Amino acid sequence: MCPEVCALKILVTVKLVPDTNADKRIDPATKRLVRTGVETVLNPFDEYAIEAALQLKEKLNDGSTVTVVSMTPASGKEIVRKALAMGADDAVMLSDDALAGSDLWGTAIALSAAIKQQSADLILTGTQSTDASSGDLPGMLAEKLGLPGLTNARSLEVADGRVKVQRETETGYMTLSAALPALVSVTKSANEPRYPSLKGIMGAKKKEIKQLAAADLALTVAVGTDGAKAKLVDLATPPVRGKGKVVTVADGAEGAKVIVDFLKERKFL
Amino acid sequence: MQNVIAFIEHKKGTPRRVALEAATYAKTLADQLGGKAHAVVTGAGAPALAELLKKYPVDEIHVLDEDRFLDGAVDALEAVAKAAGPSLVLVGNTVIGRDVASRFAARFDCGITADVTDFTVAGGVVGCVSPKLGGLVITTCQLTGSDYGVAVIRPNVFAAKETPGAGTLVSIPSSGKASSITVEDEVEEAAAELGVEEASVVVSGGRGMGGPEPFGTILKGLADAFGGAVGASRAAVDAGWIPHGHQVGQTGKTVSPQLYIAVGISGAIQHKVGMRTSETIIAINKDAGAPISEFADLLVVGDAFAIVPELTNLVKDAKAAHA
Repeated sequence: MCPEVCALKILVTVKLVPDTNADKRIDPATKRLVRTGVETVLNPFDEYAIEAALQLKEKLNDGSTVTVVSMTPASGKEIVRKALAMGADDAVMLSDDALAGSDLWGTAIALSAAIKQQSADLILTGTQSTDASSGDLPGMLAEKLGLPGLTNARSLEVADGRVKVQRETETGYMTLSAALPALVSVTKSANEPRYPSLKGIMGAKKKEIKQLAAADLALTVAVGTDGAKAKLVDLATPPVRGKGKVVTVADGAEGAKVIVDFLKERKFL
Repeated sequence: MQNVIAFIEHKKGTPRRVALEAATYAKTLADQLGGKAHAVVTGAGAPALAELLKKYPVDEIHVLDEDRFLDGAVDALEAVAKAAGPSLVLVGNTVIGRDVASRFAARFDCGITADVTDFTVAGGVVGCVSPKLGGLVITTCQLTGSDYGVAVIRPNVFAAKETPGAGTLVSIPSSGKASSITVEDEVEEAAAELGVEEASVVVSGGRGMGGPEPFGTILKGLADAFGGAVGASRAAVDAGWIPHGHQVGQTGKTVSPQLYIAVGISGAIQHKVGMRTSETIIAINKDAGAPISEFADLLVVGDAFAIVPELTNLVKDAKAAHA
């Protein structure tokens, strides 16, 4: 199938998110996330996509490369560096105040434009982010790029110009395949992401991070807050769940009875 | 937008419950917007399912009798949306649903809101209410930027109700196009099991289970007694005791069942954000000071291995007495 060179250009999208272990709070006055004391991290779901890209590159061992792409504020450089330290070859950062406040549609428009410039053979993404958690961006990117989107993959392999995945469904899996170029979103069960080695961290400092601004994308539509198709009009904090009843029981029978009485009280039984 | 289009996800003609929830709520919203409610069903088994949909309150049932993975569904929605004019598309928040919804939104350059649990309608404008950051904030997004919009609805939140309505059947012509994705095979690993996202009762186990065995025995027994599903904390999944499809929490599923029973789960923030919107939370734990004591409606402090089997028997008895 391959003529002389069949090395793949693999692209991985990554996002900056608030630390998943932090107990996040909303400032009631400003209705914004309290960022003081909340670390930002590489979206944990994206680590599986990076790992899948690195494993594929290592398996192919034919000069294939891994490029990380992130639409992020300038502070996102730390997560791009982490991906480079894990083993990605280079990175593209799309940072611009004009992109701030983009909804899913705006993000898909801007990020797909940046991806298009890279002429990649395979685009890998996480299945979702831990902050917005929509899980809708991979499909939107695939549609905007005009590519087959094989989402929720727990394994992937590339051969003869095609990508084949095992797609996790609610009750099992499907085996799907498509011709490259294609987009694949990678699930948590795909692999165990590696930690950056000291050598990797040192080496990452020398790797290229290409900076892109909105103007470099030649967009014909407005994105960011003003261009949003879904406009945030209200942000409310739900009532805090109070402490309930605590009952210490002596044995299984007593514990079961306490629960059944409670279930009857609440009309579950 | 005036019209509402429900995407009917199904497996060989058997609908996902969230699809019937979408069909039912499509009519409620269409009435408020002054438009029509449509249902779109495609793939193997679609014609038979279309007949069943006559029991639900939609005005028109559109059928594409063609099995073309993903592309068939998106193309059918596109055809119906274009013919109907400005519309809101309702899709269940499932693996297939997210693919269909996201591709439609990108194709129509319209707004999309994920994990919608409620709607507001005012002056013809649809607002989608959706919890974000694991229920920390409740956002409302108005789909005003386009004539179309997509709401990906959380399963188990809207009610599916049969209503004699007998919608008109409309056939969608096949495009004759080939799919860009080849389905090589499809394997059911847990055919009879209900996913944690859709179950109205979820029984989850954590580190306190000590190993894989209780997930298939005592926890499954209790979940089965309720007709519910087995969930798990990250600790249990990371230990390899149960597949990650069962994981509830920030790096797993977000669930809002009517009843959530957490067994041997401490209730760390990572787990809490995935289940705190459950209606009622019961915890069984050895430790009275576990974080879950701060937000469970009932915490029973005791030995889960003794309590759960007894509880399962009592639940079965109570259910049998009502049957």
